[in-house]
Amino acid sequence: MEQLEQLFSTLITQHIFTIFGVLAVLGAGAMIFAKSAVHSVLGFLLAMLAMAGAYLCLRAEFLAVAQILVYAGGIVVLFLFVIMLVEMTKYKERKLFQRQAPLALAAVVVSAVLFLGVFLKTLFGSSAEVALTLKPALTGDGLNAATHNVQAVSRGLFAEYLLPFEILSVILLVALVGAVVLAKAERS
Amino acid sequence: MVPMNHVLLLSFVLFCIGAAGVLIRRNVLIVLMCVELMLNAANLNLIAFARHSGTVAGQAFALLVMGLAAAEVAIGLALVVALYRKKDTVQVDGINLLKG
Repeated sequence: MEQLEQLFSTLITQHIFTIFGVLAVLGAGAMIFAKSAVHSVLGFLLAMLAMAGAYLCLRAEFLAVAQILVYAGGIVVLFLFVIMLVEMTKYKERKLFQRQAPLALAAVVVSAVLFLGVFLKTLFGSSAEVALTLKPALTGDGLNAATHNVQAVSRGLFAEYLLPFEILSVILLVALVGAVVLAKAERS
Repeated sequence: MVPMNHVLLLSFVLFCIGAAGVLIRRNVLIVLMCVELMLNAANLNLIAFARHSGTVAGQAFALLVMGLAAAEVAIGLALVVALYRKKDTVQVDGINLLKG
């Protein structure tokens, strides 16, 4: 545990985070520019796994595992199933992009540059370094959210935020029923 | 320790890629995936600020967002399958049922 703690506090984590970040961006880029939908899903999978690694670097172990289980294990498989179900080859998919694609890309780039222009000083100015460094701190129960991540998250979920958690379970039930109703074949 | 600005920058870039994907792609499945990517970028921000403040609220909230994203995908894919049955396409410009 001590060595682990040291490893996490050193500069290595920063570089690992950078690698995961680059992987996530590459996966996302592959996702939106891939010709075949299956390749898109693979790019999405890469992005999700890299995000899980990034969560790990931020010391959110439980969320990293949940991310892999939910996204890589559930959602990606669901997407693949539907892609196989709808037979991409049957209809013409020669036009991958919308007609307004260059315009839309330009709009995104312009808004990104504007955003960066506004926040450049906040994010990368000389004052940003100290104020924006991540520090581990104790939660109200005396649990360290970084070193005792699972305990702290469970305390948060089942004590402080129990009501949203229960509401989410109802939402999931509704989604389950809704998905079955929507996807069921119509009887004529 | 990961500097906060790197995390914010990564989440910003991912959100931009997701938004661009929603705007440019015709395939409704890829549009759905891009929405997922944007939700994930928001999650990354939540986790970063949870880590920054040392509290656990952001992480709990990110977990709830993850559950909501799963529900959204289930409904979205069911809609895609239903649309494919009706219109025989999954291209967004083929879906114009309201046009009459």
